[in-house]
Amino acid sequence: MTAIEHDAPVAHAAAAAEQGRLAQAWSAFAESRVAVGALGVAALLILVAALAPWITPQNPYDLTQLSIMDNMLAPGSRGFDGRLYLLGTDDQGRDMLSAIVYGLRLSLVVGIVATAIALAIGAAVGIVAAYFGGRLDSLLMRLVDIQLSFPAILIALILLAILGKGVDKVVIALVSVQWAYYARTIRSSALVERRREYIEAAQGLALPRWRIIFRHLLPNAFPPLIVVATVQVAHAIALEATLSFLGIGVPITEPSLGLLIANGYGYMLSGRYWIAFYPGIALLVAIVAINLVGDQLRDVMNPRLKR
Amino acid sequence: MRGARSVAVAALAALWAAAAGAQELRIGLSAEPSSMDPHFHNLTPNNSLLKHIYDRLIEQDENQRLKPALALSWKAVDDATWEFKLRPGVKFTDGSDFTANDVIYTFCRVPKVENSPSSFVINVRAVIGVSAPDPHTLILKTAQPHPLLPTELSNVAILSAKANGAGQVVFDRKECQNAGSFPKTEAFNSGQAAIGTGPYKLVRFTKGDRIIFERNDAYWGGKQPWERVVFRPITSAGPRVAALLSGDVDLIENVPIQDLPRIKSNPAFKVVQGLSNRIVYLHFDYIDDQPPGVEGTNGKNPFRDKRVREAISKAIDREAIVSRIMGGVAMAAGEMLPPTMFGANKDATAPKVDIEGAKKLLAEAGYANGFSLVLGTPNDRYVNDAMIAQAVAQMLTRVGLKVSVDAMTSSQFFARRNKRDFGLWLAGWGADSGDMSSPLKALLATPNRDKGMGTTNPGGYSNPKVDALLEQALATVDDEKRAALFAQASKAAMEDYGAVPLHFEMTTWAFKKDLTYTPRTDQNTLAMAVKPAP
Repeated sequence: MTAIEHDAPVAHAAAAAEQGRLAQAWSAFAESRVAVGALGVAALLILVAALAPWITPQNPYDLTQLSIMDNMLAPGSRGFDGRLYLLGTDDQGRDMLSAIVYGLRLSLVVGIVATAIALAIGAAVGIVAAYFGGRLDSLLMRLVDIQLSFPAILIALILLAILGKGVDKVVIALVSVQWAYYARTIRSSALVERRREYIEAAQGLALPRWRIIFRHLLPNAFPPLIVVATVQVAHAIALEATLSFLGIGVPITEPSLGLLIANGYGYMLSGRYWIAFYPGIALLVAIVAINLVGDQLRDVMNPRLKR
Repeated sequence: MRGARSVAVAALAALWAAAAGAQELRIGLSAEPSSMDPHFHNLTPNNSLLKHIYDRLIEQDENQRLKPALALSWKAVDDATWEFKLRPGVKFTDGSDFTANDVIYTFCRVPKVENSPSSFVINVRAVIGVSAPDPHTLILKTAQPHPLLPTELSNVAILSAKANGAGQVVFDRKECQNAGSFPKTEAFNSGQAAIGTGPYKLVRFTKGDRIIFERNDAYWGGKQPWERVVFRPITSAGPRVAALLSGDVDLIENVPIQDLPRIKSNPAFKVVQGLSNRIVYLHFDYIDDQPPGVEGTNGKNPFRDKRVREAISKAIDREAIVSRIMGGVAMAAGEMLPPTMFGANKDATAPKVDIEGAKKLLAEAGYANGFSLVLGTPNDRYVNDAMIAQAVAQMLTRVGLKVSVDAMTSSQFFARRNKRDFGLWLAGWGADSGDMSSPLKALLATPNRDKGMGTTNPGGYSNPKVDALLEQALATVDDEKRAALFAQASKAAMEDYGAVPLHFEMTTWAFKKDLTYTPRTDQNTLAMAVKPAP
């Protein structure tokens, strides 16, 4: 009798149970209309961002499609070639609508990719720390403490000053400031799970350690991370916007929402509000929607709040 | 009762405002001077402000042409000797008379300033001997013919020998005699040593807050209209504009372009703009075989080919940049110095955009399919610098080049530029000498540290014809001949597209409607240039 044979039916039953739990979770989630609405908005934004090249009138990153002769047009005006600019244009003659959709796409990609990588690193570090305990645990957690004691924006600024500009560099900076949250979160939930009987059973079966950690401990300690990750996506987007606003994030010819806002900031007082205003609204909607979804997820998953 | 009182209060307030308005002038500066020591830091905000306290032998007028100040006249006696006649009857604010001894003392002090971040020594380096046959005559000796001496001396503020405890000073290049111990920079900042012959006296210099001047009633140049002048550094553009609009200050410098239309449309304010001596230009890396960021050229440096440089110049629509990015507050440029200044070609006009011509030139040079390059630019140094770079990238893309823009803060930009981290970059140059020698020596002469040539030419542009004409001009004392040689040198460099001029910046001042301001090419903001409107 090998462990694998033994595992199979368990996994099957677990999948069925998982399905039941998912349905249950969804009905709990759907109790809040606001959260469902926010989820809808978030899904719509992701869809729009994914389809950006096909639904926007202009590719704002392609310099041949821009003309400074069409710059700073008010929303609803037409350019030299008769093209309609629904939300106006910025100082380089970028169509604001296209720029916002592309900017949103960049912001979401950066936020989601950075969160996913940080989640993977943080989860691995946290669960290893929790399982082995002792010195390794202290070492890793002190590292996390040090990391968390610095303001995120400060670390990101320093990193970008060293690494230089670029979307990949921003992702690296965001990952470096975020992994510690996941490490801390999963460690605490894994410490609880580690004392459960099924882990003892797995250890009794002399399963390899990596198998216990990643097949048994990780899935059970994971749910709190979903909540943290959702909220952190919003944080990552906001942080990326901040960095780009400060002019050290993405390249200026490929603006994200934060850079679009920075570009328009100087024009706020002079009446050309649309350059900063609409990207600001887009950023606000994206972050609020994701946060609302995250909040509701937390409520659903927190047994103490169960009514 | 209440009505009468509020009328009285309003009347009083109006009276007070009128009285204060007539005597006090409040100016919002865009940069803070680092010191009140006139020989400490050779920087526009310092030099501009210190002109209120100290005079020079020769001053530069609003177009940076030289005009008599403490020296009534000057002439070259021979190729290496200059005679200056000093203005009689001038008094320092401590009551002592201005004589040749003060000038000699000043020449001795300039090289002795401690920790100077940008020294004035370059302006007195040429002087190897000074003597004074009488208190109002000064004889200066130079080692070689040095026609730029009057221009250089127009940057040197004159201190009082007596007020600083010196005796009859004897000039020596190494160690002057009888000069006593020179005052430290701190003594100027505290106001103790701030004694000059200028139109104003320093009352207080509070770092980070304000600088207060009081009228010098004994000023030789006539009484100033303002009894008291308060300068407030307000370095962010938005708050500076807000301070003007709310009446906190009467005049501001460097109005952000995007706010100009709003101020212009407000009848309570006026705006003047004047051509500055600053050119915004593109420069190339000639040294590296494969300049950083350049790809698709089969390992060649495309910028060594004049046709490529010409194509880049032709691809750029300077008028569009001026009208669309600069809001009209700039002038498209055909060379590196504005046409009104000494040694410029008065007929130099900005090249017209010619996209087909540019494409043809690129094809002839073997780049029919273009190549990729990175355009480096600062994003906080020149007016709308990063926006201009993006517009240039747009225009170069249109003739088939693939351009990406690398924008960064200026300290980072200048460090990287000096290491040749870019194949093509955008930068600016202010001709503070007010003549063509400045851009030619710094940007277009073959780099040579010992001769002080090509100091800001990290790309290594080198053109023997330009070098020869420039050298000849710098040794020509006759003004007219020198101007003509400068103009020829500039023309040679421009015909070779050694650098690509884009536009001259304009400087803007906005102020209350009951004032007038005379714009200056040196971008100085002077209380002396502010007058009550007639």
